[in-house]
Amino acid sequence: MTQASEIGVRRWLFAVPALSLVCLFVLIPYINIGIMSFRTPSTTAPYGPGFTVTNYVHILSDSLYLSLLAETLLFAIATTAVCLVLAFPVAFHLARTTSRWRGLLYAGVLSPLLTGVVIRCFGWIVLLANNGLVNQALGTFGVGPFQLMYNATGVTIALVHVFLPLMILPLMNAIQSVDPHLEEAARTLGASRMRVFQRVVLPLILPGLQSGVILVFVLAASAYVIPMLLGGGRVQTLPTVMVQQLMGGLLWPFGAALALVFSAAVLASVWAFALLGRRRMRRLA
Amino acid sequence: MSSLSIQALTKCYAGAVAVQDIDLDVAEGEFVSLLGPSGCGKTTTLRCVAGLEIPTSGKILFGDRDVTRLLPERRFIGMVFQNYALFPHMTIRENIGFGLEMRGMRGSEAGKRISSVLDMVQLTGFEDRWPRQLSGGQQQRVALARALIVEPAVLLLDEPLANLDAKLRDEMRLFIRSLQERIGITTLYVTHDQAESMTMSDRIVVMFAGRIHQAGTPQDIYDRPATTAVAKFIGQANLIAGKVVHQCNGVATVDTPIGRLLCATKHAIEPGARTTAMVRPEAMRLVKECSTSALSGRIVERHFLGNIVDYRVATADGTILAVQALGSIVHEAGEVVSVQIDPEKAWLLE
Repeated sequence: MTQASEIGVRRWLFAVPALSLVCLFVLIPYINIGIMSFRTPSTTAPYGPGFTVTNYVHILSDSLYLSLLAETLLFAIATTAVCLVLAFPVAFHLARTTSRWRGLLYAGVLSPLLTGVVIRCFGWIVLLANNGLVNQALGTFGVGPFQLMYNATGVTIALVHVFLPLMILPLMNAIQSVDPHLEEAARTLGASRMRVFQRVVLPLILPGLQSGVILVFVLAASAYVIPMLLGGGRVQTLPTVMVQQLMGGLLWPFGAALALVFSAAVLASVWAFALLGRRRMRRLA
Repeated sequence: MSSLSIQALTKCYAGAVAVQDIDLDVAEGEFVSLLGPSGCGKTTTLRCVAGLEIPTSGKILFGDRDVTRLLPERRFIGMVFQNYALFPHMTIRENIGFGLEMRGMRGSEAGKRISSVLDMVQLTGFEDRWPRQLSGGQQQRVALARALIVEPAVLLLDEPLANLDAKLRDEMRLFIRSLQERIGITTLYVTHDQAESMTMSDRIVVMFAGRIHQAGTPQDIYDRPATTAVAKFIGQANLIAGKVVHQCNGVATVDTPIGRLLCATKHAIEPGARTTAMVRPEAMRLVKECSTSALSGRIVERHFLGNIVDYRVATADGTILAVQALGSIVHEAGEVVSVQIDPEKAWLLE
């Protein structure tokens, strides 16, 4: 064996633990789900005898599932958009501040990730319920009550709350890597603050923006507990319906097909988004 | 293009004073350096002129246009930064054209202007390269071209040569100075390098701790420093404390531990006043000991620098004098010599 190929083999050896983990917990379950999705339904066993494509035909021909899929993706897009708008000023401030409170601010940003999802949801229920703190406070001014829970509003609020740090952190890192002198140089060349952002800062932070957007979009699309608890059954997303099919209806093959169609749709969305940014980001290579 | 006038400029940061009550006039087409150690307020002053800092008090005028409260993008300045600050996601053409684009100029007219400034900084053919593909010196020239293309009222340079190696720095000094003279643009140049400010400037403004200690031509600053701090910062200086005996016609006689010195002076000083005399190392000559000499000493150190020889001479009272002589080594360490001081080159500090 030549020395070069020996090094090549060794390099692969280092990858073995990670590769086996991916195989065990990602690849094999996906293959399992893939096979399951072509099985026939059964009431007594996880699946019946033989193979069929009816599960897919059912999903792709039923407007109920397709509109549910579209709604779920729109939900994720809305959550991502709100996160993006809210994250920008915070990320900017955190990236550029020299305040001694910086550490505290940083901890504040991370705080939503420090509690479990169920506890966080109950916290929001206390706040958002019809007789919750928010509506009580508004009531003292003679406003409301507003329906803040068991609808898309409540679910979006809770989703934005937990995914905001995942948008702020990559944005902040990206902004930190932009030399403030670049902004100043642009200002002296006649660019307003807005133009500086548009022509200098934004193009340079695109990679960070993209990772934040993809992260939040994927997680928001596949969220289950938050739509479940704050939607109270009245907000349906594809993941909640999927769990109903699997747990309630025990329709394992159909649930598996639904999961795969959903994964493919999310993957396609992310791919389309990445394509959008690729041409602009080639300049940063 | 216009003159620049800074009037009673003060800038404080959270209680700390960065710049205190600065007055400075730069004539149209003049090249003025702000020189001083780091933290002396020279960069803050420049940033106030650029509009990147808002002065706590005072005024900044371009010609008779008051720009004190104007946003940087409205001032029509060209600024060059120490790290060049080229936009990494834009080609050289786009970098240089940025200022034109912001002023709404596009197309063939912009193209013509870009070609002409690229020619001016000798970078024709680099239009489609990326900043990261250029050397430090080339990047600095692009930064210069980008600042000059908009034909700014004043050109501001913040330590533009600090990141270059020594040889390139010498070349760029001459390049920037000749370019500035050719265009005739009013220029404010910040540096901590005294040699740089000496070779490039019409006038040097020396700053310490937020204040101007002296503003004058390079020769003024070197030969007739206004304060001890200036004398020490610019080149080497022998500072000798003494007492004035008498003064007439701008020449003072001063009694010092190393003997009686004749010093030039600008201001009238009462006999008996305590002062400091400054003598540059090259204003002293060493001659082999002879009995008539008033001042003698022993050479304690000798450094050969090629074109000059640096000596340290200890006098009888323990004062160490720095003496520089042109040419080859004449004296050996340990030798006893007499020191002659050129009376025209001795200068009395306050």
